Amino acid sequence: MNIPKLTSILNNSLFYLLLFLFAFIPLYPKFPLFNIPGVFVAVRIEDLLIALVAAIWLIFIWISKEWVILTKDNIFKAFALFFFIGLLSLFSAIFLTHTIVLHLGLLHFFRRIEFILLLPICATVFTTKKRLTFATGVLLLTLLTVNIYALGQQYLDWPVISTTNSEFSKGLILKLTPDARANSTFAGHYDLAVYLAIALVFLSVIFFIVKKFWKILILALGGFSLFVLILTAARVSFVAAFVGVISALFFAKKKKYLIPIFIILISVGAYPSQLRDRFVSTITVNLLNLGQRYEGRNLNQQLESKLNIPTLPYKMASRSALVSPFASATAGIPVDITPGEPINEVDLAVYRSFQIRLNIEWPRAANAFLKNPFLGLGYSSLGIATDNDFLRSLGEVGILGTFTFFLILLSIWKKIFKGIKNENRMIRFFSAGSLSMIITFLVNGLFIDVFEASKVASLFWIMLGLNLAVLNFREPISITRNGSPLSPRP
Amino acid sequence: MIRKIFIAFSLLLLIYMFWPTSSKISDFKALPNSAKSTLSGDTVQIPNVSAYFSNNFREFVIPFYIKNYQQNSHLPFPPLRLNHPPEYSWEVIKKHTETTYLEELVYPLKNSLYVNGYEIFRPDGTPIFYSVPKLEEAGEEWSTKATLRLYNSNILIRIIVWAGIVYSIILISKLSRKIIIE
Repeated sequence: MNIPKLTSILNNSLFYLLLFLFAFIPLYPKFPLFNIPGVFVAVRIEDLLIALVAAIWLIFIWISKEWVILTKDNIFKAFALFFFIGLLSLFSAIFLTHTIVLHLGLLHFFRRIEFILLLPICATVFTTKKRLTFATGVLLLTLLTVNIYALGQQYLDWPVISTTNSEFSKGLILKLTPDARANSTFAGHYDLAVYLAIALVFLSVIFFIVKKFWKILILALGGFSLFVLILTAARVSFVAAFVGVISALFFAKKKKYLIPIFIILISVGAYPSQLRDRFVSTITVNLLNLGQRYEGRNLNQQLESKLNIPTLPYKMASRSALVSPFASATAGIPVDITPGEPINEVDLAVYRSFQIRLNIEWPRAANAFLKNPFLGLGYSSLGIATDNDFLRSLGEVGILGTFTFFLILLSIWKKIFKGIKNENRMIRFFSAGSLSMIITFLVNGLFIDVFEASKVASLFWIMLGLNLAVLNFREPISITRNGSPLSPRP
Repeated sequence: MIRKIFIAFSLLLLIYMFWPTSSKISDFKALPNSAKSTLSGDTVQIPNVSAYFSNNFREFVIPFYIKNYQQNSHLPFPPLRLNHPPEYSWEVIKKHTETTYLEELVYPLKNSLYVNGYEIFRPDGTPIFYSVPKLEEAGEEWSTKATLRLYNSNILIRIIVWAGIVYSIILISKLSRKIIIE
């Protein structure tokens, strides 16, 4: 087989495989394929599929000689530097600070490569408008399916797969309990909310690209996505979605549409929902320190709650088999409440959500950064979550890794920013959407580890890859090119 | 000018990382008026661990080892003091370590001394919780136990990490300039 024919076959195969991945990544529930000792993050089928795509892509860029151009690009160099610092950080973590075990560090390191690699792959493969149209169609249909499935979980008892704890992450098939929040196929309501935030940002710009009939469909899909986002009651993603949509309208120079956006925002704020209650609790409990607090049933419980292990008995004599020193469910107070915590259930959830970050996760990351400010304590050293991506990055790969990560974002931002001045409407609006998605992700990153959440992180790099491809469109498909697929054509 | 500052910084960092410091747990002093633990897990089973039963509390133990660590290191500044959740002791000291506080004294990019405290009595002698166990060693009863574990690093590793840091800074600087002017 001659080289041009082989590159063409590989290119087409990659296109169809990627289309499949665009649907498969968001839709396939997080069923574990095999587990890794020491962590409840499992390897899943999508990881193998991405590895397969990456392997084919490496062969493709090798035989098409595209790697020569690719490696000269600044985005590529920033990726390479980021991975080099990641490896150096792993080396330091294993041999100098002794803070990780090798296989877990490598697992987290390869996961980051897996997500990020989707950017150059998409940028290389989606070289025509026709291909982008297919991709958009698949992504929109996937979004619709995700939303329908979320409603099914909420109202029709459809199965739920969750990874919110080690037991659930074994792939148990669950049902939503009355106060639980839908996660659709994302295994966690936060991940679903981030996905919907990205979707809303892109829908707000696709609305201006498509013609009249499609505008109505996009509007309907946007409304549907917003409704499901409200069901997730994820406060940060809700704020991030609106920040993203507003910035998208700014970048797209459609400021007059800000008025309906603010009306929607006020309506959502006024309508009774779990999301609204949580926003109110955030202000009253976390910021103003208001609300009734649990004082403990007796002096013993108050003293016991101050121990490192609050279940230790302080004074045996006052204990009774009939009267538990802790609250009981029948009293209408959560069973595991301790003195000082809010009595109201929503307040308690909001309070704990913030206190875990403030007292456990963030100080752990800060300590890691202080211990090795240059390289951090290595991937996996902070466990599964820090719930602040910037602190997590500083703690895991230090100032050098974090700075390089922002260099990657900066180099991508600069390239895409040129797109919002393009004469072509599609390029202009798509670029406005991508820049706003970056903002949405950064806002989410203040309270959620979005860049490590596998499904949404993959989609983030996919969308950026598509945008870089859009900037480089050519018709008909040309396998060999003169410029880097990561850079717009002059 | 920036180049000179960078070279000076790199050399200072190299000297700091190269500077010899405590390499084994026996370099650290025993707590005053204490009995060295002979319990299993506190002697030779786990590398660089030692433990002391005494009536010294956290307010005394931590400053004592900060001073001791700085003396051993011959550096003009004390080690950084990091407070950790007590349950972390199962990872950094040993499984089933009894604990009421855990602190880390660290010279960044060099080595760390973890100090795990188990205080079941208050300084006035009253127990912290009901039916506290007895802390007995050398035929005496004690109020507290402090367990130390040192994590040391090889000098060659430190040099490799230093070279990696310096090289990374150079690469970041070059790439940043390219990206900004792009």
